[in-house]
Amino acid sequence: MSRRSRCAVLILALAMTGSLCQAAQSVSAASPAATPPAAIAAPSTTPATATSSAPALAAGTTPGYSASSLYNLANAYARTGKPGLAVLNYERARLLDPTDPDIEANLRHVRETAGLPPETQNAFYRASTIATPQVLSWLGLTGLLIAGASVLARRLYPRHRRKLLLTTLVGVSLCGVTAASAITLWPMIHCGVVVTHDAPVRVSPVTMEEPLFTLPEATKVRMSSEHDGFILIQTSAGRTGWVPSANLAPIVPKH
Amino acid sequence: MRTHPHQRVGILALIAAAVAVAWLLGAGMARAAAPAIDVSIEPAQITLGESARLTILTSGNGTLSVSLPVVAGLEFRVVGQSRQIEMINGTTIESTSTIVRVTPDEAGVFTIPGLTPQSPPLVLRVSPGNGGGPSLTPDNSEKTGPNPLTQGGSVASGIRLTPDGSAYVRLEVSKHEVYVGENVPAEIQVGMRDGFASSINGLPKLNSDDFTLNNLTRQPEHNLKIIDGKQFTVYSWRTVLAAVKPGKFNLTFEVPATVRIRTQPRRDSMLDDLLGDPFLQNIFGSAVQKNITVTSPEIPFTVLALPAENKPPDFSGAVGSFKITTDISSPTTTAGDPLTLRLHVNGAGNFDRVDSNMLAANSEWKTYDPKATFKASDPIGFHGEKTFEQPVIAAHAGAQTVPALSFSYFDPDTRQYETAHSAPLSVKVARAADVASNEPPPASGATAPAADDAHSGLRPDHAATPSRAASLMPLYFQPPFVALSSTIALLVAGAWLALRRREREANDIQGQLDRARAQTMHALLDRMAAASASRDTAAFFNAAHSLLQQVFGARWRIPAEHISMPDVDARLEGSDLNDIRQIFTLADEANYSGDELKAADYERWTQIVRRQLPVEKTS
Repeated sequence: MSRRSRCAVLILALAMTGSLCQAAQSVSAASPAATPPAAIAAPSTTPATATSSAPALAAGTTPGYSASSLYNLANAYARTGKPGLAVLNYERARLLDPTDPDIEANLRHVRETAGLPPETQNAFYRASTIATPQVLSWLGLTGLLIAGASVLARRLYPRHRRKLLLTTLVGVSLCGVTAASAITLWPMIHCGVVVTHDAPVRVSPVTMEEPLFTLPEATKVRMSSEHDGFILIQTSAGRTGWVPSANLAPIVPKH
Repeated sequence: MRTHPHQRVGILALIAAAVAVAWLLGAGMARAAAPAIDVSIEPAQITLGESARLTILTSGNGTLSVSLPVVAGLEFRVVGQSRQIEMINGTTIESTSTIVRVTPDEAGVFTIPGLTPQSPPLVLRVSPGNGGGPSLTPDNSEKTGPNPLTQGGSVASGIRLTPDGSAYVRLEVSKHEVYVGENVPAEIQVGMRDGFASSINGLPKLNSDDFTLNNLTRQPEHNLKIIDGKQFTVYSWRTVLAAVKPGKFNLTFEVPATVRIRTQPRRDSMLDDLLGDPFLQNIFGSAVQKNITVTSPEIPFTVLALPAENKPPDFSGAVGSFKITTDISSPTTTAGDPLTLRLHVNGAGNFDRVDSNMLAANSEWKTYDPKATFKASDPIGFHGEKTFEQPVIAAHAGAQTVPALSFSYFDPDTRQYETAHSAPLSVKVARAADVASNEPPPASGATAPAADDAHSGLRPDHAATPSRAASLMPLYFQPPFVALSSTIALLVAGAWLALRRREREANDIQGQLDRARAQTMHALLDRMAAASASRDTAAFFNAAHSLLQQVFGARWRIPAEHISMPDVDARLEGSDLNDIRQIFTLADEANYSGDELKAADYERWTQIVRRQLPVEKTS
């Protein structure tokens, strides 16, 4: 093996080690601390402020989002009879930590209470949410490095091709899990939740005509485009229409 | 040519006769009267929709130019002309008769001016029509032109033509005794006689409030049909009739249409008979377009009320013939996970009244409101399948059974209520073990993640964690992460390509030899240049000799050190051979002679050597 090849492999190995350290750090950061639950008062914020994109949330003053804070915030909204905001924050919390069964259970409960049909989750969804997206991101990157390094090593060490093929498959599998998670969560980042009591859905983005139908609070819809204070939505049943943007809050706010 | 005397006499007699006839004709023409004109109209009083006949009779010698009159509200069209020559007492009389059809556009009294200053004006009185269907003919008994079908009567079963015989509307229905709410497939046929009916101006309309006309097809089918020897284009709409109340009713349908009304008097029937084809008749005849409403004959219906006895409690008004089946989205599930229960109702009938409450909530199953979709298998929605989907959740783990569903309807064929039953469905419900096992351990002594007591169903709050994400966007969708991953992927790909290239190069022995030889050539060229600069003849020719050996070794694929004078002699020819031989000889001699060359000679020998170099090397 030449000196240049050794250098290249060394650089890749260093990068892989760095990403693994990052992944490990994120995993440790994601695990909840063993401290007693913080008492969170019922939020008195208006929907507008509660759904704003400012990441400073009710619990704590540290900027940014955390699954536990969003979950607690959603619980608070649920207790005060605001299912729309509760579902919105549960969805956001689930986006950060889809492995948390409490989030799933409370989201289902609030949806049931609001009279919404339960969401169906197939096996693909469950398999792709075995870890948080952050962990899966770093795992995917690690898998990419492993796969890349093993592919290069197969070129350099043809004698060990069989063993290295196994390593390549491990790396590709990690990349596949990450890709599956990304495919699963991609629609969710384009969804929004009805946060007002009812949301009239119109055939065009004007208020003059009669609504086609009305979306109940806490309904999750897919948002397509925005025009003049209206958002084009599509329901899970496939019905489309324009909803005033004040009635909806995106699960992933635009910065 | 010689002729017999008798023949000459005959020829002279013929010439004399011809001269006599010519004289008589000339005399007659000279004595003919001046041209005269006689105009008449018949009849002088008609009804709107009819035509009158204007006859222009010119007589006498000479040409008389007659132009048709122009009267507002009247249309004049020449339909025929005849010429007659009479000779009376040696006097020739020529007469021309022109027949003009006069068709009024409106009722009133019209004055047709005289065609010549001498002829008097004519008066035509047009009375308004009777307002009914188009009337084609004046009321005389002569046969009319287009041979209309039986006007206002029935040609075949269910067909009643318009008074002019141009169109009809007919309903084809399988039964005339129906139940309230029952859907009856029907076909509305509108026949338009070719050449007479121009267009259909709307969809068929039902003249009754006791029935509804549903799912009328937008585009009719059309085909040709011969009725009483006349060709009709028949447009057919398929639809569904449904009665709204019991009783005996007579239904009629109507369709707005435009027909071409022929307006020639009956005397022109000869012309029509001559032309035959209605299309040609309309070209040569006169016609106006008129909007009419074509109405079908009355169709009797008896509508029965649905029987009150034995009416099932879940009867929703479905009348027809149906079958049901059920299925579920998965035969296995986990307690608490939703399943979709489907009820398929197949058959024929009024699917708009097919409804089902599906599975009622019970201790085993939690249920939600179903939603229904209908997929028709025919254009009118009479046959099809209605599917009800209901989310259901198993309350307990274990082998569960979704109870059989039932659906009640009234079958008009058996005249009684029927109830169809589905088979029960088995579902294996697993315990929610995976959920329970993934739950975090209780923070302080509790045995389970108990629900929030004050708000039953909610699980308690979590401890706040210090780690926070800057964005809700998953990391793998964030641009820096995508850039990092892409960079790594590109690096790996680049390294892989570089390794592959290196391997290929390592396997290319001849390429390596060529590259080494090229490097040697460059070095020898440099040595030649240095020797030339220092006027070192021996070094110059030694370098040139070695360089040529390298060049010929590469060219002839033999080792360079083996190239000698015999090889050169054997493989080169012409001026190249002499030059190379000289270089090889001088290289040997220069080592001993110590002769020095002039600068121009160095340049010349260098050029000779360079000519032998491969093109890429010299460039």
